[in-house]
Amino acid sequence: MTFRVLDPTNEKRDAGGRPAPRPASLRGATVGIISNGKEGTKEYFAHVARFLRDDLGVGAIVLRTKSNFSAPADAHIVDEIRRWQAVVTGVGD
Amino acid sequence: MLSSELQASGLSTPSAKAALTSKTYDVDDFAAVQELYHANGWTDGLPIVPPTKAAVEACLDWALMPPDQLVAIEPVREQPITAEKLAINAVMAGCLPLHFPVVATAWQAMMKPEFLLHGVTSSTGGCAVLVIINGPVRTEIGANGTFNALANSDRATAVIGRALRLALINLLDVRAGGIDRSTLGHPGKFSYCLAEDEEGTGWQPLSLVRGIPDGTSAVTVMAAMAPRQIMNEWTTDPREILETFAAEMRANQLNYSIYGGNYVIVVPKQLREPIERAGWSKRDIAEFLFERARVRRADWAGVGKQSIVRDRASRIHPALSSPDDLLVVAAGGPAGGFGAVIAPWMGSKTRAVTAAIGACVDCEPPKAGACSGEAASGSPTRTSAKINEEPRP
Amino acid sequence: MAERQGVPAIAVMTERFVSAAELMSRALGMPAYGFVVIGHPISSAPADQLEAFAKVTIRQARRLLLSE
Repeated sequence: MTFRVLDPTNEKRDAGGRPAPRPASLRGATVGIISNGKEGTKEYFAHVARFLRDDLGVGAIVLRTKSNFSAPADAHIVDEIRRWQAVVTGVGD
Repeated sequence: MLSSELQASGLSTPSAKAALTSKTYDVDDFAAVQELYHANGWTDGLPIVPPTKAAVEACLDWALMPPDQLVAIEPVREQPITAEKLAINAVMAGCLPLHFPVVATAWQAMMKPEFLLHGVTSSTGGCAVLVIINGPVRTEIGANGTFNALANSDRATAVIGRALRLALINLLDVRAGGIDRSTLGHPGKFSYCLAEDEEGTGWQPLSLVRGIPDGTSAVTVMAAMAPRQIMNEWTTDPREILETFAAEMRANQLNYSIYGGNYVIVVPKQLREPIERAGWSKRDIAEFLFERARVRRADWAGVGKQSIVRDRASRIHPALSSPDDLLVVAAGGPAGGFGAVIAPWMGSKTRAVTAAIGACVDCEPPKAGACSGEAASGSPTRTSAKINEEPRP
Repeated sequence: MAERQGVPAIAVMTERFVSAAELMSRALGMPAYGFVVIGHPISSAPADQLEAFAKVTIRQARRLLLSE
């Protein structure tokens, strides 16, 4: 007995986005850190901020913590992103 | 109405007109169907019912949904979910057409932002989607809230619960080791659906407590951990019976997650009877447990978690932020003083959602997470129209 | 969402999360999304370990955020 059966997956996919252009340097730039606030991230990002300044010459660091670590970033954080030159988010763990 | 009458009257029979658009596969036999679907990662590991055009169309016809009707848009990835795709997964799970409206309503409820679907399905915490069915639809589909309420009580609850997991796997790519990072998960991920035993209690049905009109069929979905069974066959004092439930909630707070949120308690007949005889309503129970189910942060030290007590040892954490957070379900066989506490996935990050079951014929395309499955228009549903509900005492 | 706004972004994941992250970026339609991978877990790592993770992060961030 033959069967003609249907595909159960969502065959449509969104059109892909293209990554943003990369700058040659982040010297003097503003970098935003979006933390999910999980255990250990505070200290980890403090080190990251220091290295961004010392090693990459970043000018200003903005730290934002998501109010819900399992949801995408709060709308007001997403709004701020356009004022930054780069974003570091994390930590998926 | 026959199709021909509908056509003559100028009304459309949506599903008779619109064709299914899913890709098809021609497969030699039943066993080969299983291998195809398993090999592609399209199953939960158990055999599936081959989703044929006829079976899928039968579900769509029953629910009065055209195949391309947008059932929901999953909020994080913005994936559109059509009725056709949901019906395919429902058929695979073993659903009959009369189960499909329940599946569709539960799915829409899961897409609501407050359910937090992405967090719930991807987290290492490993919860499952608990579905509680209320109203006349239970009788129609044979959903049984008595023996084995939290297990294999009947076909309807088994397949409805399963359909949701298959849809998560196939439509949202929630696969073990992929998006689904659950460390352990639990068996509810195969199917986690129960009906309330409304006829066996004088209490208000859960749906009525949660704001759905009396007599309207509804589902409540919650991102939930496995049931924690308690036993108390040695008292008829409501406070003592409920103290055992409270103790289990406190244990969950200490051993799993301290944060308050929606908790479900399942109360079987043997435990309900003394509580109801003493005149306690579901509200009374909720107020009692609101007071009793709370722990001090310092208590974490007794269960190996002293490192996170920090300088907040005296802080009190309630399991429920208000009595409204408690969902009391009357279910279970007639004998046995066994109740259950079902904890939320992670505090209040996710909220239980209750939705009325309706046939959405003229729905607007949903915004992220919203489809008026609530039947706000008041039009009678396919499922409730045939039932003569006895007046509630 | 940062990339869609034209702002380069990197996401930090611990090594056990890598395949989930790749899947998410495919699901979002951006396979080239940059991930920094550090050791696992972070929640119970001691202070010097966290500093080491941060050093690794900056090394990978150079490659992912700058056009050099």
